[in-house]
Amino acid sequence: MTGRQRLAAALWPPRLSRPQVVVALLLCSLGLGLAIQVRSTNTETQLRGARQEDLVRVLDEVDAKQQRLQDDRQQLQSSLATLQNSSQQAAEAQKQTRTKEQQLGVLAGTVAATGPGIVLTVNDPGGKVQADMLLNTLEELRAAGAEAVQINNVRVVAGTWFSDADPGTVVTGGTKVTQPYRFTVIGNSHDLDVALGIPGGVVQSVDKLQGASATVSEQKSLSVTALIPLSTPGYAHSAQP
Amino acid sequence: MIAVLGLVIGVVVGLVVQPGIPTGLVPYLPIAIVAALDAVFGGIRAMLDGIFDDKVFVVSFLSNVVVAGLIVFLGDQLGVGSQLSTGVVVVLGIRIFSNAAAIRRHVFRA
Repeated sequence: MTGRQRLAAALWPPRLSRPQVVVALLLCSLGLGLAIQVRSTNTETQLRGARQEDLVRVLDEVDAKQQRLQDDRQQLQSSLATLQNSSQQAAEAQKQTRTKEQQLGVLAGTVAATGPGIVLTVNDPGGKVQADMLLNTLEELRAAGAEAVQINNVRVVAGTWFSDADPGTVVTGGTKVTQPYRFTVIGNSHDLDVALGIPGGVVQSVDKLQGASATVSEQKSLSVTALIPLSTPGYAHSAQP
Repeated sequence: MIAVLGLVIGVVVGLVVQPGIPTGLVPYLPIAIVAALDAVFGGIRAMLDGIFDDKVFVVSFLSNVVVAGLIVFLGDQLGVGSQLSTGVVVVLGIRIFSNAAAIRRHVFRA
């Protein structure tokens, strides 16, 4: 009897003998274990059934990674805070610079100005009003707090000068201005009005001249629109304080 | 034939019911399965040789499983669990191959 015949005899016909049943029970448990193991290997996480040292290693790695990521996060957050801070500071500085520029522009006559003030009109058909009278008027206005001044269509700033020309004409800062001289002044209108109207003040002085007259009118809102062209200094540079 | 049916039923039950196993036994199950496979191949070879005895098969099956589990357990206690498992698998694999060779000679006469 060869091995092949024995195999065939064992397989068919099925006999319910004791050896067959015992072997069947053992093989049944083997198949059960096989199925469980295959399924758990395929579907469950690799960590299930891992050894203690492997788990410790995996845990260490995860801990180190978490530590690294937290460090990264802290660094990024601090740099974010730094950037936000500096951008806020830059915005604040820009705002202040812009405000300063506006103020200086009004003083230097490079930007238009608007606000309350007075209009002083000096009529001089006889040509009696001369440059010194206009200069006195301007000084009075400045002393009374004038912030932006325009005579006819010439902006008056710190460097403006007056010079006599033909009667009824005064050269103001290089431009001929003919009468009537119309001062548009921005400032505290009441102060300006009072300063011009005091005894011996501008209005009286002008009125004393033959044929000349001065009138002051307070205005709630005025615009000084004449501009001085901005010139860049050729030699002087600003020095850092 | 009944034995083959038993194996098939075991696989089907395992796949359908999907029973959980105690966590403590998880590291031993793969080794136990390999050891049991060794016993099964040995049993088939003995049957082909005409010297199969069910008592011997039962004892060799159970002792293979228990000894393999003990070796792995001992290895885990000594801190060389993974290496020892590999060694057990290698030895059992060699035995399975030699048994398979004997079976092959019987069945195919080659």
